[in-house]
Amino acid sequence: MILLSALVAGLLTGLVWARWSGNPYQTPELRHFWLVFVAFLPQLIVIYSPTRENFPEWLVAACLLASQVMLFGFAWFNRHVSGMSILVCGIVLNLAVMTANSGFMPISPQTASRLIPEERLLDIQPGSRLGPKDILLHPQDTRFEWLADRFLPPSWFPYQVAFSLGDVLIAIGAFWMLAKPGSPIQFTNRGTQT
Amino acid sequence: MKNKLALLALSAQKINRQHVQLVFVLISLALLLLGTGAPLAEGGVGR
Repeated sequence: MILLSALVAGLLTGLVWARWSGNPYQTPELRHFWLVFVAFLPQLIVIYSPTRENFPEWLVAACLLASQVMLFGFAWFNRHVSGMSILVCGIVLNLAVMTANSGFMPISPQTASRLIPEERLLDIQPGSRLGPKDILLHPQDTRFEWLADRFLPPSWFPYQVAFSLGDVLIAIGAFWMLAKPGSPIQFTNRGTQT
Repeated sequence: MKNKLALLALSAQKINRQHVQLVFVLISLALLLLGTGAPLAEGGVGR
């Protein structure tokens, strides 16, 4: 939800910017659309389908990682689009931490306590899955802990969500892509700014 | 009836290639974000 709001905010910013500058809104020129649909399919089955409870953990983890690798491929093929380079960095960070932690995004009990009532959290053993993609792990048992779901909004904020550094980059990349689709600030194939 | 058909045809003409492309881009980006991001929200904990 938090990531989709970056998408909506980026689109609105882009449309307002285009109207203000008197130019038509330029849609980002993405290629290989088919790949994103194929890549999302494994996640759709093991994470979002009604039969998701029937799948073993190893299969869910394998599908998650395979799906993310294919989505990385889609992003890589479209790295010419402004903002996609930032998004690619976010994907790599999330993929790295998930691969290093049994295929799921680690979250510490301390961070999770802001999202779940304490008594319910006590019933969840470390190493168990939490939510669609997360796994409850103590920081000392987490590889690349700094890339885990460890950031939280201020406690007074009405919508509480734990997110990772990779999520932040993914949100910034998506926002940038739609807010300034024709922006000259983009990375070339050699990774340099133009 | 004729007027309605004419209106429909006019609306269809307004949907140009760029609108279709924008819809595809938005759907693709939404799937990309849902697929690669891994935030854990308050309401998303129950499996």
